[in-house]
Amino acid sequence: MPAAAAIAQKVWDVPTRLVHWGLAIGIATSWWSVENKAMDIHYWSGLTILGLLIFRIYWGFAGPETARFASFIKGPMTVFGYIPKLFSKNYRAAFGHNPLGALSVVALLVAVLTQVSLGLFASDTDGLFAGPLNRHVDYATAEEITDFHEDFFNVVLALVGLHLAAIAFYLVVKRINLIGPMLTGQRRGDSLTGPSSGIAPIPPWRLAIGVALAVGLVWFIAR
Amino acid sequence: MKIKLFATAAFLALGLAACGGEAPAPAEPTPAAEAAPAPAPEVTPAATADIGAPPADIAAFMKTRHDNYEDIGKNMKVLQDNMKLDAPDMAAVTAAATKIKGHADEMATWFPAGTGPESGIKTEAKAEIWTDRVTFNAAVVKLQEESGKLAAATDAAGFKAQFPATGGACKACHDKFRLEDK
Repeated sequence: MPAAAAIAQKVWDVPTRLVHWGLAIGIATSWWSVENKAMDIHYWSGLTILGLLIFRIYWGFAGPETARFASFIKGPMTVFGYIPKLFSKNYRAAFGHNPLGALSVVALLVAVLTQVSLGLFASDTDGLFAGPLNRHVDYATAEEITDFHEDFFNVVLALVGLHLAAIAFYLVVKRINLIGPMLTGQRRGDSLTGPSSGIAPIPPWRLAIGVALAVGLVWFIAR
Repeated sequence: MKIKLFATAAFLALGLAACGGEAPAPAEPTPAAEAAPAPAPEVTPAATADIGAPPADIAAFMKTRHDNYEDIGKNMKVLQDNMKLDAPDMAAVTAAATKIKGHADEMATWFPAGTGPESGIKTEAKAEIWTDRVTFNAAVVKLQEESGKLAAATDAAGFKAQFPATGGACKACHDKFRLEDK
């Protein structure tokens, strides 16, 4: 393994990293709170996750290159073509999501969005706590949605497991640390893919619109 | 080769997780479901409270009990829906609370001998209802009191202040005497 030269490339911007770790904490909090019957915490962690997802979807169109769906979602040919590259001798970490990892990202976003959307209509067995949209469905429908909300969490867990397994694979087999860049935003190495300047800065007003959109939509749903 | 291995591992992981999700799905195992309907009622020592003799048709009795709880759930939802409104429909609130109070008044008679888990019929009722009837009955009385206050609420403020206490009475009893359905 060549010693890492002092080249640092910015791959992840602050909002993308905050959303990532916010989702990780939010999912863990939602899981812990429901297992411990802290439904008031569950309610707010679910709405927080919803807000993070709304922002992330917006950021997939308005954010920097590595956060944009159009730049990392690839067709099946590119995805399959990536696999032999992954196992080639001179493999280098992708600038942002690699074509295969992008599938995992999209699957996770869709699954977590499905899960929180179901939760909006769900209710606990005591009828003491209910999601903000529960009153728009009848009792039987709410019961079915709640059961599905419980079962669907296994899909979220499976995808989180796959995500962690892939990170471990890159770390152990490929000797590529994906966690560091998600913490610091920087990838270090002597041979990097993508522009050496890294991602371009995004004007603050675009960030402000995203925050307003996320907070506004969550407020509208929860009020 | 490693590609295949990785893909296999990934699918295995997914498969395992999926199975993990299915296993707990049937609410409770019903091992003796096909066994003869409730044998001679095995009366558990109940200390001081009266448990009641086993009903003639245990399955039908338990079905009615389940339906009654479903009805409480439906009425709780009416209350829950109104909690989210600035101007709750007090006629609907009072009607729902009165129905819950009515069920609560009967509830202590819903658990005679032979209608617990030993019946072999699917139920979320824990054996503790029969072994600790004094505590159970106290929880039922608590629901009668709280739902009674709720039914007597005359304005939105009174309703909204009393709803959590009523739901809390449900929850306190569920936490102790109801099986978690997972």
